[in-house]
Amino acid sequence: MSAHHIIPMKTLISTTVALVVLTIVTVAVFYLPIPAPFDVVVAILLASFKATLVGMFFMGLYYDEKFNTVVLIFSFLFFLVFVGITLLDTMFRDTGISVW
Amino acid sequence: MAEAHSVDNPRLLHHFRNADQQFSSSKLGMWLFLFTEIMFFGGLFVAYIIYRAWNPELFTMAATQLDTMLGAVNTVVLIGSSLTIALAIRAAQTDKQKMIVNYLLLTIFLASVFLVIKYFEYTHKFDMGIFPGAYYTFDGIDHPKANVFFSIYYMMTGLHGLHVIIGIGLMIWLVIRAKIGDYSSQWYTPVEMCGLYWHIVDIIWIFLFPLMYLIE
Repeated sequence: MSAHHIIPMKTLISTTVALVVLTIVTVAVFYLPIPAPFDVVVAILLASFKATLVGMFFMGLYYDEKFNTVVLIFSFLFFLVFVGITLLDTMFRDTGISVW
Repeated sequence: MAEAHSVDNPRLLHHFRNADQQFSSSKLGMWLFLFTEIMFFGGLFVAYIIYRAWNPELFTMAATQLDTMLGAVNTVVLIGSSLTIALAIRAAQTDKQKMIVNYLLLTIFLASVFLVIKYFEYTHKFDMGIFPGAYYTFDGIDHPKANVFFSIYYMMTGLHGLHVIIGIGLMIWLVIRAKIGDYSSQWYTPVEMCGLYWHIVDIIWIFLFPLMYLIE
């Protein structure tokens, strides 16, 4: 069954090579003069791509029942809600307002 | 009912229809656990994001105290360990009993290399007085909240390191069971689940590395 898919050796090796290359790219990009917010954006995009590779091929989500991927995506969405709602507080604090 | 009480597969529990359903259920359970792990680390990532948004210049200054090279090497070490545990699962699926043990031992070795490098990073900082929170005595960073960065650094890398140590413990348990021949293509659920756990530990480091070491 699909749950017991044997991941091809070629896929495992090429995933590893891609991850190592992307790590080198991540470090190389750090030394490029990219203006303020975009250096973080590029770093996070690269890390997300690497995490996607690990999830798809090492953790086997590519071959699995799709519901496991749904669980992972939902964890990410809940994290975004966590970050978003917290930032709505911390980024808009006004020390001038008297606190009740 | 006959199938539910099958004697062909002693691993099959009676409340599952068949071995595939049992395996898929275990996997879903593991993914739900990984969901909680992501939210667990998520709280620390939120702390990181808030303090970085409040003190962007602090993060730029403090990150200079972290060794990019050691961080990058550790990233590659963890990627390698992810490969070796994937190969251990593959060995179980293809009934290569000896190779399950070998790949698990290799994974334990790489996990230990990660911890040794982390140990040298930590002790180097301790020598300079870079401790978390109130114990911070280093004066090389000209910022009043320099200790806050390192509180976050130690909490995030420390919790991650704790996961690595737990992972090593789990893999030692797997090695012991693999040696007595518990795992085969018929049943290797614990190897698969430890693999998923180990990969999530790798993924968390993949995010920690650029967020901690690569700030300009």
